Amino acid sequence: MTTRTHTRRGALAVTGAAVASPFIWTSAQAQAGSTIKLGMPLALTGPLGSVGQQQKRGAELYAKVQNEKGGWLGKKIELLIEDTVGNPATCVRKAQEMVERHDCRLFTGITLSSEALAIVPKLAEWNSIFISSDNGDGRLTAESFVPNFFRANTSGPMGTRAVSLYLKESKLQKMYAIGLDYAWGHNSIQVFENEMKRIGKEFLGKVFAPTGTRDYSTYITKIRQSGADGVYLVLAGDDNNAFLSQAQQYQLPAKVTMFTEQIELSAMRAVGDAAVGLVGSARYAFTIDNPLNKEFVELWKKEYNGLVPDTFEGEQWQCQKVFEAGIAKAGSIDADKLRPALEDLTIDNIKGKVHIRKCDHQGVQQGFMVKVVKREGFSHPIPEVISTMAADRVTPPCNKMTYDD
Amino acid sequence: MSRVPVRLDAGCRLPARPDEKVLVDARHRRVGDIGRDVARALRPAPFSYNRILPPRARPLLMNTFAFLINQSVNALSQAALLFFLGVGLTLIFGIMRIVNFAHGTLFMLGAFVGYSIVHKTGSYWLAMIAAPVVVGLIGTAFEFVILRRLYKRDAHAFLMVTFGLALIVGDAVRLIWGPDALQVPPPALLSGIVFLMGEPFPTYRLFLAGFGIVMAVVMWQVLERTRLGLLIRATSQNAEMVHALGVDVTLVRSAVFGIGCGLAALGGVLSAPLLTAAHGMASSVIIDAFVIVIIGGMGSFVGSLIGALLVAFVQVFGNYYYPDLALAFLYLIMLMILIVRPGGLLGKEA
Repeated sequence: MTTRTHTRRGALAVTGAAVASPFIWTSAQAQAGSTIKLGMPLALTGPLGSVGQQQKRGAELYAKVQNEKGGWLGKKIELLIEDTVGNPATCVRKAQEMVERHDCRLFTGITLSSEALAIVPKLAEWNSIFISSDNGDGRLTAESFVPNFFRANTSGPMGTRAVSLYLKESKLQKMYAIGLDYAWGHNSIQVFENEMKRIGKEFLGKVFAPTGTRDYSTYITKIRQSGADGVYLVLAGDDNNAFLSQAQQYQLPAKVTMFTEQIELSAMRAVGDAAVGLVGSARYAFTIDNPLNKEFVELWKKEYNGLVPDTFEGEQWQCQKVFEAGIAKAGSIDADKLRPALEDLTIDNIKGKVHIRKCDHQGVQQGFMVKVVKREGFSHPIPEVISTMAADRVTPPCNKMTYDD
Repeated sequence: MSRVPVRLDAGCRLPARPDEKVLVDARHRRVGDIGRDVARALRPAPFSYNRILPPRARPLLMNTFAFLINQSVNALSQAALLFFLGVGLTLIFGIMRIVNFAHGTLFMLGAFVGYSIVHKTGSYWLAMIAAPVVVGLIGTAFEFVILRRLYKRDAHAFLMVTFGLALIVGDAVRLIWGPDALQVPPPALLSGIVFLMGEPFPTYRLFLAGFGIVMAVVMWQVLERTRLGLLIRATSQNAEMVHALGVDVTLVRSAVFGIGCGLAALGGVLSAPLLTAAHGMASSVIIDAFVIVIIGGMGSFVGSLIGALLVAFVQVFGNYYYPDLALAFLYLIMLMILIVRPGGLLGKEA
């Protein structure tokens, strides 16, 4: 009995392999050179998996729409998507594979800043361009800047700056901060602390939670005990959802106003009313009033059963548009031609004008402050834009994460 | 700092009290006597509860003793969740000598099944009962169809197969429920707060702590007093002998695997109001589950109870006093225990 099973399995495996291998080989052969490969080593699973999933959806819709129009330079866009689970070492390994096996020269969508920081030193060796669609860490365009790195998205310091400009007008005086215990959280809270001291608010303290923290009660207790009247959150994904749910259960929002560096719809869907009242900077919100954005939201709804696009779906879309304009201008995806084409590039897109400045490759763009509210026609709370801030007010000086004024 | 008059809610103004006065108040109420010395030694950041609590909570104002009580109850609620996870893992290991890698994923599955039940029926209580049953049945079916064929092989086969189960269930959950986290609100009855020693505390966490204690006692009684418990204990000690005495050991194994999976799902559905039903749950709990089982000793019921309590208390208080070391604590206690007792606190040394 056992022997027979083994034989049958063995036979199946051999047949399967025999059928599959030439197919894989031919498809790889056929596609080499005829497509433009865009490498996306994403954190599709793990605590920040929801962010990676958004980036994936944003890029997929773009590739679909653009391929119908003929792709880039007459070649179809092929997305190389791999899961890194948010681990920098895995991310570097997967990206390396994309370069070596698929001759991939374009990267985007690397989910965590810690992963991006691990990738950028390799870009010159790989002769590849990486345009960030979500990495927040300010260092990527400051001390860790490399020429082949570009950032199309709003950075962490820019989000923090928008909150700080908003707080300047606010009556709240005593601030506390909680962030995720990795590159992005530390960087954003450092910027926030400096900004608060500069605008004359009292900064009472900060605390960092590891990603994947399940019990936020000790952190909530610390916030209560600090006596702060405002708390700044630099949280994302599952951690953000857990924090907001638990903060509501502890009735923290009744005592402390919560500000956040980024607002995601996925969090509002996940925690419902616990997000209502949250004020924060939004890197993207589907409610941004702009004709191109309205067009994009309609397109998105049609593709994804009436759902509206989330923060990183919009950011990924904008990033793809930067790629598109740069590649069209360069007429090539070769790093040496694409780099100068991207420098000083300006596009008009879903968030308004984005100017990729030459000095540090940061996308200079507007900042948005939103408030989470309940609106009819939506099963979950939505972000409503309450203030739009000029690009030169929110973008830091070249190669810097701090602001002079 | 505490002498500065501060804004109070509800429009009334009172000067904040110096901490000494709070302690005197506490002594007057005879609750601070024991806690006072401990309080002095352990007092963390300056307290300022007076500023943020509603007026009705103020007479019982906090001292460190009350803080310790509050966080201890919170740690108990976390221990309850970890216990359901750990005890399932340890039961399965004790009976079947299988390290179930899918345990974290089944925990997550419990949360998602719970979400569906809550949204179909509107009853969290039903979800609390039905989700573990559904996941338990899935576990039993898996044992019946796949694991049963592998008992004669060595442990590696089980590692591979349960790891495969984790991947399949993880992707199936993504296909069925989508990639986003989903909201599971606690039942209305438990969604408020209570005041524990004057500090607001979510009713739901209080319920978790109580429920955990009740379930631990029930499970202990089942293991000690019932025929099923007897069979489980006997099978874990000497399966062949039990078989020779005319007991269908395969049936015991199926049942235990199902119960273990069901307990993981119970932990998942109970965690959902705290965490939302999220895909990341699986990877974030599995390490804790293994740590609990390793601390307590593989296969030991009481061991997993002690392990869960230890992990929960160390995490809660460690995170509070030394948040920079939050991640390290778990491994530090595991390391210390393994150095002293390589088989875990109550396990047999291998």
